[in-house]
Amino acid sequence: MNAIERAGKELSRLPGIGPKTALRLVYHLLKADPARIAQLTGALTDLADRVRPCERCGNYSDSDLCDVCSNPRRDHTTVCVVEEAYEVGAIERTGQYPGVYHVLGGKLSPLDGVGPESLRIAGLRTRVAEEGVREVILATNASMEGEATAVYLESILRNVQSLRVTRLARGIPVGSDLEYVDGTTIAEALLGRREM
Amino acid sequence: MRGFRNLGVQELTFPREGVAILGGNAQGKSNLLEAIYYLETLRSFRGSGDAQLVAFGCTVFRIEGDLAGDADPVQVAAAFDRGSRRKRVYLDGDPQDTLAAGLGRVGAVIFSPDDIRMINGPPAERRRFLDVVLSLNVPGYVEMLQRYRRALAQRNAALKASEGPTALEGWSRMLASSGSVLVCARARWIAERAGSFSAHYEAVSGAEVAALSYRPSVDEDETLASTEARILSALVDAERRDRRLRTTTVGPHRDEMAVVLEGADREVREFGSGGQRRTAALALRLVEADTVRDVRDPDPLVLMDDVFAELDQARSDRLLARIEGGRIGQVILTAPKEADVRVRRDALPRWQIEGGRVAA
Ligand SMILES: [Zn+2]
Repeated sequence: MNAIERAGKELSRLPGIGPKTALRLVYHLLKADPARIAQLTGALTDLADRVRPCERCGNYSDSDLCDVCSNPRRDHTTVCVVEEAYEVGAIERTGQYPGVYHVLGGKLSPLDGVGPESLRIAGLRTRVAEEGVREVILATNASMEGEATAVYLESILRNVQSLRVTRLARGIPVGSDLEYVDGTTIAEALLGRREM
Repeated sequence: MRGFRNLGVQELTFPREGVAILGGNAQGKSNLLEAIYYLETLRSFRGSGDAQLVAFGCTVFRIEGDLAGDADPVQVAAAFDRGSRRKRVYLDGDPQDTLAAGLGRVGAVIFSPDDIRMINGPPAERRRFLDVVLSLNVPGYVEMLQRYRRALAQRNAALKASEGPTALEGWSRMLASSGSVLVCARARWIAERAGSFSAHYEAVSGAEVAALSYRPSVDEDETLASTEARILSALVDAERRDRRLRTTTVGPHRDEMAVVLEGADREVREFGSGGQRRTAALALRLVEADTVRDVRDPDPLVLMDDVFAELDQARSDRLLARIEGGRIGQVILTAPKEADVRVRRDALPRWQIEGGRVAA
């Protein structure tokens, strides 16, 4: 296998990139300034060498603590629990959330061999016990597995003194007519129904 | 249609009142009805897998139906690729994100000699009937059914992995929340339709009466929330047994729907004669047709796959009277020979089918 094929093969392992696109990217890189390739390899090497999960929350970071955990202006008594690190970015972009995060690294799915011990759950318990956390917001996805993970977390945190456990709201989008909402959304809103 | 069983590439325009399709064995009569009904349920009514439906030598089948009248959408299409195992549904040409979006768009009911399985077969056959009818006619049902099945698979996997009680609780709660919707929808449909089931049964049988009854694994309660609580507590109660058996032993996946002969108080499934069983199966299809009409307004498209062959003369006559006396729309029926064409005998044009090719 020559260098071009090897680079193409590596790129095509990335999600959403087929063999054809991978080769197009390789030729694009070959045509560009050689410094560009060096920059790209440098950036990738840094990913492998320097980025690691934040010791506290599991978000990716260049240092022991991530930018959020090390920021004294954040509200460290409110912890938002998400499945994956990229979801931190989605919430951060809203600019509305003052608290900190906890990244589970997935969701419960016994079918895929993922049980509670495979997720960053012990760490969450430690934080709740030792860091004066007052509220945990369960922001796992509305998928069945995300829901079950939230239920699990709620039940292990239920008995912690003066801790509030909340769930991200979901359901029918504001201002929409039931008739025009798809079945999945109605079904989820039905599951998320509350007493009035 | 293209690439479906032995039907080749064909475009057919069915007359407004319907058509009688005549042909010998294995010429493709059932295949044609299967293709039409595929657009209603997106699967084979004979229980064949999608890969089996693709014609020999083809990798893809595609079926398109243009609906007349004030139908919305006007066109429903379904396609399956055996290579990628991908199935897609299109409404008015737009590919849909989910198959559920394309379910029940035609408004059809099919009568087939295989319907007897709904009576003779195990409870799973009757649950399948209920699930199909409710998926096609109750908004949100099919999504809940998918959610329930997935939660069930997860809980069973958790049981096999001997996960702790807290880990199991999440899956039990998921089963209870989605399962309560299934149980309430099933209970409601059976309660609403029990009267017309008995009326259809009596009319076709000519004498006896039979009743349709729901026998849920966990009884429904007044509200969705209280039913959910009931299912959850049944799951908690069953936990020790479930752990031992490594599977979930209570819940709507264990529901039963029984047909009981009145007076005798005996189940048709166990004690019914051949005629009684056929009558019960026909009565189920007739209530299904009522449901389609009530929920979706236009009179249902009725597909009949050589239904009269298996019935005695008296029952055939009474079924005919029942069907022709009710409000149904277009009728597409198949029969081996002219003498077997019974419904709308004088009104339906006759087409022939041979080797999968239809000739008007
Ligand atoms: Zn952090």
